[in-house]
Amino acid sequence: MTALRVLAMRVKAFVLGSRNDRDLDDDIRVHLDLLTQEYVRRGLSSEDAYAAARRAFGGAEQMKEVYRDQRGLPLIDGLVQDLRYAGRMFRRDPGFTAVAVLSLAMGIGASTAAFSVFNGVMLRPLPVPDAGRLVLLEPQRRGTQFILFNPIFEELRRRQRTLAGVFADDDRPFLKVTVDDAASSSYVRSSLVSGSYFSVLGVSPSLGRLLSERDDQLPETSGGESCAAVISHQFWVRRFQQNADVLRRTLRVRDMLCAIVGVAPQGFISHQGGYAPDVWLPLRPLTDRKLLESRSMAFFGGVMGRLAPGVGMRQAETELTALYQQILAADAETRPADFRIHVVSGAQGFDHVRRQFSTSLTIVLAAVGVVLLIASANVATLLLGRGAARLPELATRAALGAGRLRLMRQLVTEGSLLAALGAVLGLALAWIATPALASLVWTGDAVLADPRVIAVAIGATVLAALVCGVLPALRVSDATLRASMAHDGRTTTSHGQRLTRTLVAAQLALSLVLVTAAGLLLRTLLHFSGIDPGFRPEHVVMLDVRDEKPGSSFGRVDTAEQKAARAVLYRTVDERLNALPGVRAASVSWLGLFSRQDLWLPLIDPDRPDSRPEGRVDYVSPRYFETMGMQILRGRGITDRDREGTERVAVVNEALARARFGGDETLGRRLAIKYTGEQERPFTIVGVVRDSKYNNLRELRTEPMMWMPIAQAPFRMSSVALRVEPHAEAAVARQAETVLKQTDGHLMVREITTLSAQLHRNTARERLLLGLSSGFGSLAVLLAGVGLYGTLAYAVRRRTREIGIRLAFGARRRAVLSMILSDALKLVALGIGVGVPIAVAGGYSLRAFLFGVAPVDPAALAAACAVLALAALVAAYIPARRAAAVDPVVALRWE
Amino acid sequence: MNPPPSEVPYGTLDLMVLKTLQVMGALHGYGIARRIEQMAEGALALNQGTIYPALLRLEQKGWIASEWGTSETNRRARFYSITRAGRKQLAAEADTWARTVAMVNRLLEE
Repeated sequence: MTALRVLAMRVKAFVLGSRNDRDLDDDIRVHLDLLTQEYVRRGLSSEDAYAAARRAFGGAEQMKEVYRDQRGLPLIDGLVQDLRYAGRMFRRDPGFTAVAVLSLAMGIGASTAAFSVFNGVMLRPLPVPDAGRLVLLEPQRRGTQFILFNPIFEELRRRQRTLAGVFADDDRPFLKVTVDDAASSSYVRSSLVSGSYFSVLGVSPSLGRLLSERDDQLPETSGGESCAAVISHQFWVRRFQQNADVLRRTLRVRDMLCAIVGVAPQGFISHQGGYAPDVWLPLRPLTDRKLLESRSMAFFGGVMGRLAPGVGMRQAETELTALYQQILAADAETRPADFRIHVVSGAQGFDHVRRQFSTSLTIVLAAVGVVLLIASANVATLLLGRGAARLPELATRAALGAGRLRLMRQLVTEGSLLAALGAVLGLALAWIATPALASLVWTGDAVLADPRVIAVAIGATVLAALVCGVLPALRVSDATLRASMAHDGRTTTSHGQRLTRTLVAAQLALSLVLVTAAGLLLRTLLHFSGIDPGFRPEHVVMLDVRDEKPGSSFGRVDTAEQKAARAVLYRTVDERLNALPGVRAASVSWLGLFSRQDLWLPLIDPDRPDSRPEGRVDYVSPRYFETMGMQILRGRGITDRDREGTERVAVVNEALARARFGGDETLGRRLAIKYTGEQERPFTIVGVVRDSKYNNLRELRTEPMMWMPIAQAPFRMSSVALRVEPHAEAAVARQAETVLKQTDGHLMVREITTLSAQLHRNTARERLLLGLSSGFGSLAVLLAGVGLYGTLAYAVRRRTREIGIRLAFGARRRAVLSMILSDALKLVALGIGVGVPIAVAGGYSLRAFLFGVAPVDPAALAAACAVLALAALVAAYIPARRAAAVDPVVALRWE
Repeated sequence: MNPPPSEVPYGTLDLMVLKTLQVMGALHGYGIARRIEQMAEGALALNQGTIYPALLRLEQKGWIASEWGTSETNRRARFYSITRAGRKQLAAEADTWARTVAMVNRLLEE
């Protein structure tokens, strides 16, 4: 109580400020007057009486000092004083202040922006109640990722007791829906989910109701071809203008009519950051019966649950694994002991995006951390240099009675003020940079106003303040102050220089790490561009297409009539596309090149039926190889004469010919595909094409592949490719879309790109990292250069007299020049010596992104060292020139 | 000859100020200092200025209160008086003091 009271009084006095001083002065005056009168009464002269009164009163000034410390908040008083002083110093040297604040702003801004993206992708929990209790169920077989088949999932869900609820999810980013009775359909982003989805996540509707278990029954049980749909708040706004009558609207999905029963709340995105569905639909009514019953084909992307009260993750894992093994034991072919359910935290939702980006994001984070360190060290270097120049001033203040602690506090305040200014500007930079940086990674949100991001921003600022405030302050030892006084501030002890030089070397070392990383990534990308893909990617327009004609669905074999009708349709499309102006060759195919699909099927040799290794397959139209620019080495390609009724023919690549038939003649051999209805009808090989990349430039070995006429395909087309005249890409793409729409309204275009863009996308991560590492690397080299320049410039100023003497005694100016330059190179050598091992370690951490270049690449290292040495020479040149230009007469008279 | 005046023992100045105010009522700083010197009869070397930090300390703790008034020389001066909390504190402190002194005396007499 008393302590609080004292604090309150102190705060009050602090606020009142100088009025207190006047009050105390009044008290003292009265006191001295009365005391003097007393002495006069005792018989002293008025002068003697006054002197005696002063003596009896004691040291008034000392007392005032004690009184002040006792009265207000001396720490804050001092701080305000320090800040005022620092502000004056900065105003007097705006150039220095600008460089320091900008350096720190870039360091702090970059770390904050990078961390906010990292946080958004990797750390931020789903915005649902009690997200920490959500778990992901990951089946494993012998320690590697496995799949949970639906019947087993359903049994597991029915029998388990450790989870309060559990759901499966199947994301469909392109789902064709028709709103009400609209004439045309469109694609929506959707998720097919178990009925427990919203209750497990703990979400309540903003309108209507959400999905329940009753919505997730098989059509037979729920009675008919109807289902329920929940739409996202965003979709409600975008498509239905937030109209409440949305609850009377319907969505037609294939042959199902789904009534919109509710709208999800505004803040809810989904079960996974970065994926924002427009529509949630119940999983079972909309999934093919065959898939639901399959014990060999999986369809859903993941399983998430919420732990029951009082159950921990380990307990859930033990019990779910036991149950899983028990269920699998019914299947004679499997060894249940091989299987287990791995339970991991689901607080951040499904981790597909996180897995994809975790390594690159961690690397980016490390890189910006390095930049922050360099920036802080740089400002510390500048402050040290200036601190040395200020030693005489500090020494004077010390002589006038300022304690060493007081002076150190002053320097720490200055460093902290710089860091704070840097932080303000840095946050503004982060504000601008974060959305741009986030959009490189994903479609989700990266929020700056998040406790973790704020903590990191503050942490970065504190780190900067410590490095650039405390380091210079530590140098203000009594010894340096005394020395400075004694030598009139014209020479400095060497150990101050040593700290500065260490900092500069550290900056150079850290820059080397970033520049080397950039070099490795550059070599990787150069390697990519040097790869011969086996086709010609220039001027090829690609359309991602879906044949949405109703009638058949997964696993159901089309009738001969359906296949025939389709073959005619695709031939018509093919002919019309080839007739477009500006088109050199066009083709339609089942999968196409670089379509991110990778389908393998067993290929059976009818002569040796037990030999059935898998190979890639595709079905293509006649001019496919010409469109892609692939080279037919032997035999022929697919032609217009290969139709649904004619002989079944195939073209294979060299890899398949080599793997299956060794050195024997390939043409004329036969292979059949293991697929319902196809097994008994082999294809005769009529041609061999040159090996080429398929959907990944990183693939070192070409895999066996076989192409067959699309007219003889059991599957639908999904890709259109057109080789066009240069610069005709955009026009042809538009026309091709129209041709598809006009030929058949069910041919819907999902995406239009070019083949080179697809290749480009294949190296997106590497290019992103290269961009960031070279950007950060340049920044780092620039900062290190500024640090080096500052140090050398100061050293030259300090040594002007010495240089003058050397010149007076006949030293050549070239010698002076090379003396300063070699000084710089010594620092570079030190930086490189320390930096190379770190750069090598950095190279190893980049391993996953390197292709065609080893983590320790002498060329990249040498180039980085050269860049650094060059930057150092440029930075050193101006001070060196200044040293060489010293006029001995002026330098000596300077005494 | 009188023994040389001794320093003010640590912590006793507060006690002396409180006692003075309890006996004399409201006083300004000079009055308090004078009164303490008179009572010590020259046995105490008091730098009179040191009572101002002590007065501030006591006021911050709420044991005394101050009020602006006019001094004998017709100037503005602060007059201090003891508060109820101050009286309580004085009683407790005086008691502790008496017991400490008694104990020390017993020790010295043995």
